[in-house]
Amino acid sequence: MYEMLLYFNGGAMMSKIKNITVTIDGKTCHSEFGKTILQIARENDIYIPTMCYLTKVMSIASCRMCVVDVEGVDGMILSCQEPATDGIVISTNTPEIYKQRQSIMKLYDVNHPLECGVCDKSGECDLQNKTLEFDVAQQNFTAKDQNRKVQNWGHVSYDPALCIMCEKCVRVSTEITGDEALQVKFGGYNSTILNVKQDKNYASLGEAAAVCPVGALVDTSFKYTSNAWELTKIPATCSHCSSGCELNYEVKQDSILNSEEKIYRVTNTYEFSSLCGAGRFGYDFENKDVTKDTDEFKKAVEAFKVADTIRFSAVITNEEALILQRLKEKLNYKLICDEAKGYQDFLKAFGEVTGKNLYSANLKTISDSRAIIVLGSKINNDNPMVKYHITMASKHNQSRVAYMHTIEDTEIQNIVTQFIKYEVGSEEGVVALLADRLLKDIELPVKKREFLDSLDIGYLSAESNIGEEELDALAKSLIKKRGFSLIVGEDLYSHPRAKNIAKILGLIETYTDFNILLTPPSTNALGVSLICDLDKEAGNYTIGYNSTGDYILSATGDGNLDMPSFNQQEGTITTIDKRVVVTNVALPYGGYTLNDLANICWLNHEYTIDYTKELPTSKGFSAVEFDLLPNEFSITGKENRGYLLTSIKVVKDTSLDEVEDLPDYDGLVVYRCNSVEQFSQFTSKTTQLKEDNNLVGSPVFATVAKIKDGDRVKFIVNDIEYNRVFKIDTSMKGTIAINPTNDMGLSSTLVSSYRYSKLKLEIQNKNVSS
Amino acid sequence: MSNLIFSTWRGEFIDNRNKSAEELSKSDFKLPENYTADVDSKAFIGWDGVAIFNEDVDAVRLATEYAAQYQVYSEACGRCAPGRWGGRILYDLLDKIARGEGSYQDLDHLKEVSETMMLTSKCEIGKTVPKPILDLIEHYSDQFSKVIDEQVKSNHYDDDIKYIAKVTAPCTDMCPAHVDIPAYIEGVRDMQLADSLVATRETMPLAHTCGRVCPHPCEDACRRTNLDEPISIMELKRLGADYETDHGLDWQHPREIKAPKNDGKKVAVIGAGPAGLTTAYYLALDGIQVDIFEELPVNGGEVAVGVPEYRMPIDKYQKDIDLVLNMPTVNIFNNHRVDAKRLKEIDAEYDATMLGFGARLSKKVRAKNERADINGYWGAIEMLDKVNLWTKYGIGSTASNELKGKTVVCVGGGFTSMDVVRCSIREGAKKVIMLYRRDEKTIIRNTTYEEYHEAVEEGVEFIFHSAVNEIYDEDNQLVKLLVDKFELVPDPNGGRAQLVKIDDGSFEIECDYLIPAVSQAADLQLIPKEWDIKLTSWNTILTNGKDYMTNRDGLFASGDCEYGPMTIVNAVGQAKRAASVISRYIYDGKVSLTDDEIMEDHLVKLKVYDKKEKITGWIPGLPRTVSEKLETDERKDNNKEVNLGFTGEEALAEAQRCMRCYYISMAVL
Repeated sequence: MYEMLLYFNGGAMMSKIKNITVTIDGKTCHSEFGKTILQIARENDIYIPTMCYLTKVMSIASCRMCVVDVEGVDGMILSCQEPATDGIVISTNTPEIYKQRQSIMKLYDVNHPLECGVCDKSGECDLQNKTLEFDVAQQNFTAKDQNRKVQNWGHVSYDPALCIMCEKCVRVSTEITGDEALQVKFGGYNSTILNVKQDKNYASLGEAAAVCPVGALVDTSFKYTSNAWELTKIPATCSHCSSGCELNYEVKQDSILNSEEKIYRVTNTYEFSSLCGAGRFGYDFENKDVTKDTDEFKKAVEAFKVADTIRFSAVITNEEALILQRLKEKLNYKLICDEAKGYQDFLKAFGEVTGKNLYSANLKTISDSRAIIVLGSKINNDNPMVKYHITMASKHNQSRVAYMHTIEDTEIQNIVTQFIKYEVGSEEGVVALLADRLLKDIELPVKKREFLDSLDIGYLSAESNIGEEELDALAKSLIKKRGFSLIVGEDLYSHPRAKNIAKILGLIETYTDFNILLTPPSTNALGVSLICDLDKEAGNYTIGYNSTGDYILSATGDGNLDMPSFNQQEGTITTIDKRVVVTNVALPYGGYTLNDLANICWLNHEYTIDYTKELPTSKGFSAVEFDLLPNEFSITGKENRGYLLTSIKVVKDTSLDEVEDLPDYDGLVVYRCNSVEQFSQFTSKTTQLKEDNNLVGSPVFATVAKIKDGDRVKFIVNDIEYNRVFKIDTSMKGTIAINPTNDMGLSSTLVSSYRYSKLKLEIQNKNVSS
Repeated sequence: MSNLIFSTWRGEFIDNRNKSAEELSKSDFKLPENYTADVDSKAFIGWDGVAIFNEDVDAVRLATEYAAQYQVYSEACGRCAPGRWGGRILYDLLDKIARGEGSYQDLDHLKEVSETMMLTSKCEIGKTVPKPILDLIEHYSDQFSKVIDEQVKSNHYDDDIKYIAKVTAPCTDMCPAHVDIPAYIEGVRDMQLADSLVATRETMPLAHTCGRVCPHPCEDACRRTNLDEPISIMELKRLGADYETDHGLDWQHPREIKAPKNDGKKVAVIGAGPAGLTTAYYLALDGIQVDIFEELPVNGGEVAVGVPEYRMPIDKYQKDIDLVLNMPTVNIFNNHRVDAKRLKEIDAEYDATMLGFGARLSKKVRAKNERADINGYWGAIEMLDKVNLWTKYGIGSTASNELKGKTVVCVGGGFTSMDVVRCSIREGAKKVIMLYRRDEKTIIRNTTYEEYHEAVEEGVEFIFHSAVNEIYDEDNQLVKLLVDKFELVPDPNGGRAQLVKIDDGSFEIECDYLIPAVSQAADLQLIPKEWDIKLTSWNTILTNGKDYMTNRDGLFASGDCEYGPMTIVNAVGQAKRAASVISRYIYDGKVSLTDDEIMEDHLVKLKVYDKKEKITGWIPGLPRTVSEKLETDERKDNNKEVNLGFTGEEALAEAQRCMRCYYISMAVL
């Protein structure tokens, strides 16, 4: 390893920034060497037309519209691709350049179907815009037309006749979402986009459709439903996972007969940010047709009077979390949030070593990394946006990606450079081995060195099944790399040894150059962890808020009193980026809210968002009014959304426990994990997101369990009974099966135990599918 | 006898139409007037102009066919708006004119589209395709006018004429293996690294290896040099290979492996080095049975036992070797020494035999008292064998037993001698001296800048303009050398400067080892005398350098045993061509080249790269990216790979510098 230690200790030796000055259209522009002419122009508000440029991917350079003139250089220069050199003088628009751009637009328009009247893109189409901009009124050239059929790929549809082969979609599929489903089929005039993974129907292809400048790639569900200009954009934040991605719900009335608004589609600022398939297609989870049921409301108030416990889902705004905390403070309720409690304790223990209440990494540090370790998460399922950022690091930086988990994931083979398998339950040993290796030769306080020296490496290695040669290979792959990230997932937060695991990780965060990301396990688990004092044990009478209880408030309509769903609320959530972002009301809601109940029970704020400015500054929140929070990206892509939490110093307690004997999980094991793009009862409710609610295991699992593909099985995990069809996934190995919980309604929030459970199967009936 | 009638090639303008015999001009270029010995070309058209060799050429159809070839080959490109649609329109308009349906307005449109293509296309193919077409429109305007005015088909519109096209690039042309370099660089640029690897493997199975230790002759023909500095072509090759390895992908073959033919035909390959592996790979891709006979227990030839671990890690090279050995129709027989008797058996048993046994005899330095049996006199090949067998495979014993604390003198100046001195440093020699007859500049030219400087950094002492005069031994133990000094005396007639001995310049060096690494010879004793195999003046096996068959039917040779000690990429290029010839020979008994191979040879002769060409459309002054190396202290006492390769950002930045200089050329028969 040992070269990399230089960088652990000496800090990153980044290449020096060289300042340059260039002149664009007479304007003096200061920038850095390495930036393209187009980037510098945009920083300086100078317009250069493009058809294929997409800020968030590497320059594609297929359209050639962005050509400019550079003094002293013959020929035309491609501004999107060419880095500016110091002192060059650039003209972005001359009569000759205009003529060539116009010629290119003429070529783009050759045989482009004149069907704007029925095209979904009309009104927001780059081809329309540029055709008008360059005054192409007629077609001078022709080429033999081709008969090419529209293809339905599931979530998205592709019309090759409308495709201008800008390749943006392919780049997004390769560089961002990493599904690598889309490819360019070379063939000159016959070039087309291929979906080589049509059998998978990736919802992530919505991201590819979002960047299509024309009507070639569209959301199948949106097709022919509305003109773009009829829709109202409601800027909001996705509520499905902790990434809290920026999005717009686009709404208009349902139909002539029904003036009620509905969401037609979700869009986003695709130029700079991304959305996973759940965010893009999972939007119709609103609590519909709710009116104020005053009788039920009274019952709810009575229930609050009887109750001593409130159990809630972490799919909740910061403001509501604060309401619950205030209620606790006033009325001594116990607050139970199964989705956040383990995380809260983990964060606390981690902070006792690092001295800070937050972890150091964010999504940007992940995508900028040259080496990434993922530990304790089926990251492709747990948090697609983290996976997208690993993909960016892999594609843009050739980042090394070590994936440490119990189950190999073939879906991310294209970005993982080393899979390190460990045994279920051995996570404490795994973290200890990792710390031992990464901290080797680093100067440590005596106590910490003693802790590492006392580790029985041979035992840990044998019991966790991680070979020393695997760690050697990992260390070797980090040689001379810089920019390290360690992504930690949900498996560890609810581990019986979570506290010690968190503290050992705290050592790595403190003493190495690794930035650690503690992926929040649910939408607002981070916000809840910071705002609420959570309890471990419930009392005698529980109010469930989007969770189970004796009296239930539910935004899915499953409880006693209805509540608004996330797309019917305004408020803020705290994201994985430690950013407080806003969401707004996309759809009307006619019923009561938590704030209404709270106002009866001795709190007094007219609107839920009146709590925004009261979020605890002692935990890093800022005292800012909701209405003053921005929600946008700047022209160069700077994220101006809400605000970033301030990291707060916390009291240290760096004592470490000895690593315990590693537990034994022989036999069949079930792993709690939702299918990709499923997260909760809310995503489960949406119509477009596919749900795979089977118990999925390897052929080996089937053999050991003596079951076959299609058998119906019954089992109990954490007191919840599951009836599932068993499906074999031949890409899986070993005796761990995957069991989703998102379809379990209110019970889906009861996830406070370790993610793996030993499994006792009851076979109900054989092969229901055949 | 020259039949040149018209040429606009590379800026020349020759128009011999209606000229008397005395007035005829000749071209300065080696244009392919004779396609093969038996077939003449009627015309040749390409990126740099058009040449006509026959009065009867139909210029309108020639232009149309050239545009059509662009369409056919646009699969290699067709990725920008001007090229994609422009190329199609170019062809449609030309064909409309050629079939007698065009107008002068069509000609105007054609010129308009051509201008946009030439100014804004992504790669050179789009930028250059219109040029010769516009030349024809201008200089053969009578033919164009006729078909437009009279609305008739062009002269030979419906005739059966053979048009043979080939896409190349200056770098590809210069590469002995003709690797499709722009394609693999494009794969890096697009972050489609599997595609990048596939593009490399099209003609080069040893992607890991030639992404690390190729002396990259291609970079001498990189057009980017005309603007600033050549692309770092070689190192970009590594990314695709590393991608396959790092992500545990299935082998990425350039095309689907054909089902084993199982027709009884089989080919023998002698030696599992670069030439042998390459032969086996391409034959096996066609489903042909190949048996490789390798004398050593380990595979890979001189790259395995010669090139040191710090330059070419064996785990990477082993991937290249495994790629070949995992082919369904390839068998390997290790520890199988082939002598003359065995070769006769093989020759009788197999339908064709490829000799790829390299050149593994260390040549002498030609000093007095030079005897191989002096203790301390150690041939470079034997020394490197020992070092590499131990460090890479744990076979034998460590060479530091011999070299630790000792003084080593190496005589050389090429890659092998660099390997000797740098390995000696790593084995703990106290002092390492390289004697070289010529100067620093020449040693850098013969190896690489990096190789020389890294050796200096590691502590090798170079003595230039020197040669061993006499070897002194005591009781057959080497003790010292008498070394002569020379000076370079320029040739008054402008020829190569001569080395002249300085009379009182000689000196002595006390040393423990003398390692001659001046050159290597092929060990030819396995060739049966009675076959009377013809040899070159260098004592290597003679072929015509095109089909690589020796003067014995069915016996082929490639790599160092054919060429003399040369590069890996040279061996690969020869073997790839030979495999193609063999794949036909074993069925029809004929030695033939494909049209693509014939065109390839023509283009090499014509020279694709023009170092005087002025580049337009690119900003000069973007520096070539240099990858990070281990520091001297981090590397000189171990075998860690010195070159860490590009980071992702560096690779992308470097790939962006590539100008995609694809060219299309076409011969008319």
